[in-house]
Amino acid sequence: MTTEENQPPETFIRFSPLQRLLHLVVMIGFTGLAVTGFSLKFSAQWWAHGFAWLVGGAGHLAYLHRFFAVITYGCVLVHIIWLFYFKLALKGSITGPQSLFPRVQDIKDMFQHMGYFFGRGGIPRFNRFTYWEKFDYLALFLGMNTMGFTGLFLWFPEFFTTLLPGYFINLAQVLHLYEAIMAVALKFVVHMVTTHLRPETFPVEKTIFNGKTTREKMRHEHPGELDSL
Amino acid sequence: MNAFTVELKKWFPGQKRFGLTLFLCLTLSMALLGPQSPEAAITPDGQAGWFVNMGRFAASAHGTFSCEQCHGDMKQGQTMHPNTENLFFLKEDANRQYDYQRCKSCHNPSYTQYLEGAHAKALLKQQTDLPAGPLKLPKSKRAPTCGNCHSGHYVKGHLSRVEIGRQMVSVCGKCHPAQAATYLDNYHGKAAVNLGDKNAAFCTDCHGAHHCRSLKDKKETLAACKRCHPEAEQGFTQVVIHNTTQDLPENDRQKKAHVALIRVVTVLMAILVILVVGFFYGHSFVWILRELHEKLRKHK
Repeated sequence: MTTEENQPPETFIRFSPLQRLLHLVVMIGFTGLAVTGFSLKFSAQWWAHGFAWLVGGAGHLAYLHRFFAVITYGCVLVHIIWLFYFKLALKGSITGPQSLFPRVQDIKDMFQHMGYFFGRGGIPRFNRFTYWEKFDYLALFLGMNTMGFTGLFLWFPEFFTTLLPGYFINLAQVLHLYEAIMAVALKFVVHMVTTHLRPETFPVEKTIFNGKTTREKMRHEHPGELDSL
Repeated sequence: MNAFTVELKKWFPGQKRFGLTLFLCLTLSMALLGPQSPEAAITPDGQAGWFVNMGRFAASAHGTFSCEQCHGDMKQGQTMHPNTENLFFLKEDANRQYDYQRCKSCHNPSYTQYLEGAHAKALLKQQTDLPAGPLKLPKSKRAPTCGNCHSGHYVKGHLSRVEIGRQMVSVCGKCHPAQAATYLDNYHGKAAVNLGDKNAAFCTDCHGAHHCRSLKDKKETLAACKRCHPEAEQGFTQVVIHNTTQDLPENDRQKKAHVALIRVVTVLMAILVILVVGFFYGHSFVWILRELHEKLRKHK
């Protein structure tokens, strides 16, 4: 046994406690929204009857859906406040190369990465956030706002029909449904597979829950960030 | 061989097992192909029979009535029912010829509402416009009388609101299938019929029991909405509940445009979802294949 192996791997803190907490609450809220929302939409299915029975009927499903919506959107608001704090008080950059802001480099990275899938070239030198991580984040961040907006139409149709024609409620319903299908199809499958089930990360990626990552993983997954430190 | 098969073979060796299979097959085919219930019996000349299932009748809301209370003495001159020489003496199309004044004697408000409502108006129109009356029309186009929606013999009493509502959707849906389907696709139908929410609206909660309003008039519609949505204003009535253009009058351009717009947005959203989800599923799948390839190559 060499001395090198006895040394603990150098640990980096990738996610702050607030970020971990927000992820956890959004995770619970999103799952709750999906279960209650789809139980209402696909209410003729046996599993929907099961969930409805579990919570005590359609009225409770609708109430819980709004409860989960409020806590999930609460996370979005806390996150926006934190972004202001990060920018103004901590003088951080929310558009720089180590941020989640989309950049032209991400498109280039995506094409290079897909080339790597087919054996052309190597893995791009990713910065703090890769293009699929940025997509995961931005899809949810923007999606929560649009879902929240269309959801308000369905929550208060009496109010919104005083401002807009009635069929806007139907349009909001269509947008709300298809965005929900897209969000669930992406988060429950693509997000899970790319973070946990890929051969590189299988069986579980704990970084978002304990915030920790190692120098070895950093070198492999985010070499650009490691260089900038 | 599992324990069950062993046990089965011990109890039913050889020929006995063959006999058992034959017996089960015969019983099943007899149950499936056997004679139908006498209620469904139709006589050769197409008339419905006289048969009333007394078990079901006794359990119905009218179960304590004697036949005469609703049917009178069934007498014409000296001839009376039952008549062995003419089996179909006094047999008439129940829904068309029955004297509904007899229903009225107990159900006066419902009878009056029916006469004020859209179904009675449609019936009057068919009787005056068509020389042969409504009977020449296909069954689903004939304006209904009491008996078309309610069963005099088998109507159940003391049903819950949701039980009545679920029956209602299938009864109304017989003549208005597009409306029933779109109602079930709407939040009201999902909550009320599928999830049994007694606070959600069934057909008659908006269209009125026995009035059966078409709700083409915006003032009538707003009054219907306000029963559950007291803050609703005129714009609220334009929310599309029955998302279909079936049975719409030709001049209802507005609703046709709204339905078309909803359709276009639905198709566009579906295309967007398929493209985005399809791309990322393919992306993840090829990525996993590549990483598996790398791993397996390392372990060679």
